[in-house]
Amino acid sequence: MELGRRIASRLHDATFDRIAQVGLANAATHRPHIRRSVLELAKLPLGAGDAALVVAAGPSLHRRRSLERLAARGFPGTIVAVDSALAACLRNGVVPHVVVTVDPHDRIVRWFGEPALAAPSADDYFRRQEMDPVHAADEMAANRAVVALVDRDGPRLRVAAATSAAPSVVSRCRAAGMELFWWNPMYDDYERPDSVSRELHRENGLPCLNGGGNVGTASWVLAHAVLGKRRVGIIGMDFGYPPDTPYEKTQYYPELRDMLGERFGEAFVHFENPVLGEKWFTDPAYCWFRDVFLEMAREARCETFNCTEGGVLFGPEIKTVTLEEFLDHG
Amino acid sequence: MTEFLKGNYELKVDIEEKKEDAEASATDEFERKALSRLGGSICFVSKKGFLWTGDGDAAQS
Repeated sequence: MELGRRIASRLHDATFDRIAQVGLANAATHRPHIRRSVLELAKLPLGAGDAALVVAAGPSLHRRRSLERLAARGFPGTIVAVDSALAACLRNGVVPHVVVTVDPHDRIVRWFGEPALAAPSADDYFRRQEMDPVHAADEMAANRAVVALVDRDGPRLRVAAATSAAPSVVSRCRAAGMELFWWNPMYDDYERPDSVSRELHRENGLPCLNGGGNVGTASWVLAHAVLGKRRVGIIGMDFGYPPDTPYEKTQYYPELRDMLGERFGEAFVHFENPVLGEKWFTDPAYCWFRDVFLEMAREARCETFNCTEGGVLFGPEIKTVTLEEFLDHG
Repeated sequence: MTEFLKGNYELKVDIEEKKEDAEASATDEFERKALSRLGGSICFVSKKGFLWTGDGDAAQS
């Protein structure tokens, strides 16, 4: 088995190690302030019909100009966006019905704009990441623009917030006038008597959502398992990098470099996208997300339409169509 | 090893952990820490459905 796939096969436990402690601490912090469950979203008029479009923040979102095309074509269904795609949505005049946030780490607040940011971050995460390229050009100017957009549209936005979400993110959402709807991440098998998920549910009464490793997959789960949508399109769900991306510009480059030294390149897994004929590549984390998504898609009571027009997510349970085909017939 | 095996008697000799075992343990710990930096932002629980709303409710999809 390739090195990247071997590492990917171990990320199930690694994710628990990475986020459980801080996620549970964040849940305890939020608990006194929780008012509404994510299940209430299903009762609200969030778009028409039984179709939803999930907006993730992979590089195809920009490469394929998916948001410009969505804004031009229009979509009567429900739009669910991941936090890292929020600013791009608002820049393009797309106001999602629901924004999903999960990550327990404070730096995620940047996706909502940090009003108090006085200098570029010491680490290069936002300058290096592929999710919203505007941060790479001028981190400070990009942040100011996101603050203005989120302040402008915040009162129109609903946030499906995991109890693991960073307190700074929750404070920022509240300050911008967003309405919060809460859920617990499913951390482990709730049928085990010592289950962390079971204990968390006992404490706060919130439903536990199986997140699939990342906020994009969690948003897709929310669209069909919480909102009850039966036809779910996805854009920007690449789980990989375009052929011309330098390894240094990938999400987990510093971690892979620290872990594997000069052999870090062996951790990347290459796929040929069967629709585009392009050779994309993915790192162990995104490879794991891909494998999990395909496993979950087999169990889902919805049709999934991948309108990303790029990336590495393809398989028998996923229909690959253009964005316009989904928008017109979804 | 000592954390897994416990006796109700005292040994008359000291048993030292093998160097190789200690090194393997250190390597495992290094790998675990390294891998934890690569993990996702939310867990995935296989074969447990999509949503659990408490006892009495089957996992929904």
